[in-house]
Amino acid sequence: MIVANDNSCKGIVKNALLYKNPIFVSGMVIAPVVVMANNFFDAVTLVIAFSLITFFTLLMSSFVPKNIVYTVRIILYTIIGALVYVPSVIFLKYLMPEGVEALGIFFPLFITSSFIISRSETIFFLETKGKMFLDIIFCIIGYDAAVLLFAAIREILAFGTICGNIIGMPVEIAALQNPFGGFILLGLIAAVFRSILLFIKRVRQK
Amino acid sequence: MELMGNIMMTAFIAVFVENTIFSRALGTSTLVVISRNRKNLFGFGLSVTYITALISVLTYFVNKLFANNDNSYIYMPLVYICVLGFVYILTLLCLWKFLPRLFAKAKKYVHISAFNCAVLGSMFLISKYCETLSDYFIHGLGIGLGFVFAVYLTAIVYDKIYSEKVPYPFRGYPIMLIYLGILSMAFWGLSGHTLNY
Repeated sequence: MIVANDNSCKGIVKNALLYKNPIFVSGMVIAPVVVMANNFFDAVTLVIAFSLITFFTLLMSSFVPKNIVYTVRIILYTIIGALVYVPSVIFLKYLMPEGVEALGIFFPLFITSSFIISRSETIFFLETKGKMFLDIIFCIIGYDAAVLLFAAIREILAFGTICGNIIGMPVEIAALQNPFGGFILLGLIAAVFRSILLFIKRVRQK
Repeated sequence: MELMGNIMMTAFIAVFVENTIFSRALGTSTLVVISRNRKNLFGFGLSVTYITALISVLTYFVNKLFANNDNSYIYMPLVYICVLGFVYILTLLCLWKFLPRLFAKAKKYVHISAFNCAVLGSMFLISKYCETLSDYFIHGLGIGLGFVFAVYLTAIVYDKIYSEKVPYPFRGYPIMLIYLGILSMAFWGLSGHTLNY
């Protein structure tokens, strides 16, 4: 795997956005992306819901003392997630009721996402609170950007539209609207993303 | 006989037609993570099955108590998480007390098998589609067995997915997603679709 090995702020940002991108490289929280991110508008609801729950859950989880045993810590992380979900769902239901309806069971599932479970432990090992904050912010930005890019490509290919506007594609691949289409497209984009990272690395080495 | 037929049909639908991974992608991230550490894939799958089966019974009683008003969608995730936490601690305590050898092996992955989208998702799905206690249990068990089946299908191609014969950009995670997509497409066909000629 290509990674930025330094633990500097620049390295943390590079890893979060590129080398350990949660969607295209690490494969975290891909279920809602594969099933729900069919178009750009649904993807916007998805990233807002994800960002709200993940940011506040990780922020509050960072105050859980390290000396508590892991068995109890993991329950505390998910309880914090469930508590953060309450104001998040009320807020989003007021702001975008149709979007929340469309998300269905995937909204509360962010509470036990692999992202929260793994990051809430990883951030313990970062040296300062500043770096921890930077890591959380840029991991969320990396996830959001990847989801929006994926949804935009999927909407163009599956519906021939972008943000609902017809762009006149010669062929529409309707199968990409289904979860299996989501899996295949995500796999292809992940491969292209890895090729781009490899190309950048080779150019820098030369 | 009719009851037996219904049970078999419900289990078949839960394992094959509405497989959590292939139809709703629930637990895919967990599958990706555990497939990188190839050890205990089946232990992990069985652990998920045990938890979904036990949780399904508890979900039935919890729903009877709490999920009876329009605002239940706000607080039910918290209730479900508390139930999951209870099952998680109970499981670890029972293993530690009665099966210490298994506890030593299982403690590394019990937390991932309890706190993942497949398990929490199964609680929401069975709450939505099931009515009786037996429905809850059979669906819960079926979801867990469906997960084991998906883990098995991933495990048998593990060496090929990570083989050096696969071009580097596709090796590992990307080709696994494409493989899951092809399997998902095959299982999607089982749900029955008519073609317009």
